[in-house]
Amino acid sequence: MSTATTGSRAESAAQDPESPAAAPAGRRRVPWARLPGAALIWLFVAFCAFTFLFILLSSLKSSYNVLNHPFRLPTELKFSNWSKAWHDGGFGPAFVNSVVVVVAAAAGTVLLASPAAYVLGRNQNRLSGGVSMYFVLGLGIPMQIIVLPLYSIMAKMHLIDNLAGLIVLYIVVNLPFTVYLLMSFFASLPGELEEAAALDGVGPGMTFWRIMLPLAKGGLMTALTLVAIACWNETFLALMFLQTNDNFTLPLALVNFLTQQQFTGEDFGVMFAGVSIAVLPMLALYAWLGRRITEGLTLGAGK
Amino acid sequence: MTSATLGVRRGRAKGSPLARRRRRVFGPFLAPALILYTILFMLPTAYSFYASFTSWDGFSNPRWKGTLNYDHLTHDPAFKDAFFNTLKLLFGCGIFLFVLSFAFMLLLREMKGRRFIQGFIFLPHIVSGVALAAFWDFLLNHDGMLNKGLHSFGLGPVDWLKPQWQFNAILIAIVWINTGYYVTILMAGVDRIPPYYYEEAKLAGTNSWQRFRHITLPMSWDVVGTAAVLWTIGTVKIFEFILAFSGSQGNLPTTNQWTSAMYVYGETIGGTSPIYDFGRACAGAVVTLVAVVVVVVVLRRVTSRDRLEL
Repeated sequence: MSTATTGSRAESAAQDPESPAAAPAGRRRVPWARLPGAALIWLFVAFCAFTFLFILLSSLKSSYNVLNHPFRLPTELKFSNWSKAWHDGGFGPAFVNSVVVVVAAAAGTVLLASPAAYVLGRNQNRLSGGVSMYFVLGLGIPMQIIVLPLYSIMAKMHLIDNLAGLIVLYIVVNLPFTVYLLMSFFASLPGELEEAAALDGVGPGMTFWRIMLPLAKGGLMTALTLVAIACWNETFLALMFLQTNDNFTLPLALVNFLTQQQFTGEDFGVMFAGVSIAVLPMLALYAWLGRRITEGLTLGAGK
Repeated sequence: MTSATLGVRRGRAKGSPLARRRRRVFGPFLAPALILYTILFMLPTAYSFYASFTSWDGFSNPRWKGTLNYDHLTHDPAFKDAFFNTLKLLFGCGIFLFVLSFAFMLLLREMKGRRFIQGFIFLPHIVSGVALAAFWDFLLNHDGMLNKGLHSFGLGPVDWLKPQWQFNAILIAIVWINTGYYVTILMAGVDRIPPYYYEEAKLAGTNSWQRFRHITLPMSWDVVGTAAVLWTIGTVKIFEFILAFSGSQGNLPTTNQWTSAMYVYGETIGGTSPIYDFGRACAGAVVTLVAVVVVVVVLRRVTSRDRLEL
């Protein structure tokens, strides 16, 4: 098991964001030869920017203007779209549900995964290697293979249509990735402090809570963020296990709203207000912790 | 826990005081995660294999019926659609996505503001697929934005979402959502190529194409292979975008838009009149998992061989 190398590699990649030497310097092709490519990239960037700007701006326009003048800036700011989405569209309660589920699931996952990842990352023997592999195996197993037996189990425990039940499932399905991620973080930490603590007679449990966890704070933050993002957007399990509107999380509220619209006539302003409620927290999180998110999500490729 | 006792016993046998301490907590630290993961992840996986040979509605006890579910899958047009659509996503979308991502990555490495651009095109990857589907639908609808744009140039409305095109619209959207992610992964891999390779190659009088052909390409096979494995695992999860994009009035999308995950949902509790055929859905999921394993093994073989040739 090469957990140690994963960790150090991940770290060195993190410390070395943009060393100019890393780029294959001295490709002195004529600039215009690259122009079509660069234009294509900027087009792509523009489309991404347009998507999110469009969603946010349309959430403040009247349905008529969204539909008939999609490219025009809003003439008046219709904040009533947001309150309509929040109160009548079901996005308010769904937002609260999503926050509860995300916070509980992210905290629960990291709470369970970090001690396991600590012992797996810092013990290099065949047993820990085998258990690590056992967790990594879960990364390759698609949700649809576990969901039906889980449905049966949850039904027997009366945890269908129950947010606590969904939280437990979210913790379980996020364990493999989180253990894998944190394992490499713990493996990359220096051992001196741990040894010093052992010499001072600090117990192993205390060493973990007081010394290693604070050292791994960066990794824990990354794990919390990534689990939060995954749960915030998760739709398949939510759809399988939640049934009533009162329990819906944001993606379900959105699916539900889109369905309702097809019956009751469409209000695109309110629709995009709902879309914004689902999207904006992720954009804010990304603006705040962007590097951490991209590095964490692409860490898997470093193995 | 047998694994725990094993760890402790080994710890007693040898090692520094630190190692011994660490081993003492091995079991207790590992147990909660391991037990939960085993009961609610690995056992359900195993159970699905068993259930795929039974007639099961998810509530009463499954009844053994041999390979009938699998026989049924081979005649089930919905499953065939779901399976081939998943393959279409995996290979059709995948090849396009990887060529695009690789090209973007190479271009970005020589562009100013590469960090900014890279961060920006990552965005669709971290927001809800349902939200993106709502936007995508508004873009391509008959009264949608694209047709409004065309109209102002005097061009007639195009039926972008006619049945034979609709899945292609999904494929394009999936490429759009994932490009930023794979650009970042490939970039991280290529960044790890030691710069002195390029310097020496330059001293040897190579041109940029030769350096690309003989350094960048072979040295990035490794990360391309890993990214391809991630993509394989990722494709079979694609679900909510299609549901929100193609479903209408509470009904599921028509089966020609289905994917593997949609099949499991549609054959059990999904739609306005659920079928509750858990046994057959499990068989469908097992076939998907086996296909994933085969593809991953083949990918590993192919990419590791190419890397060795270097």
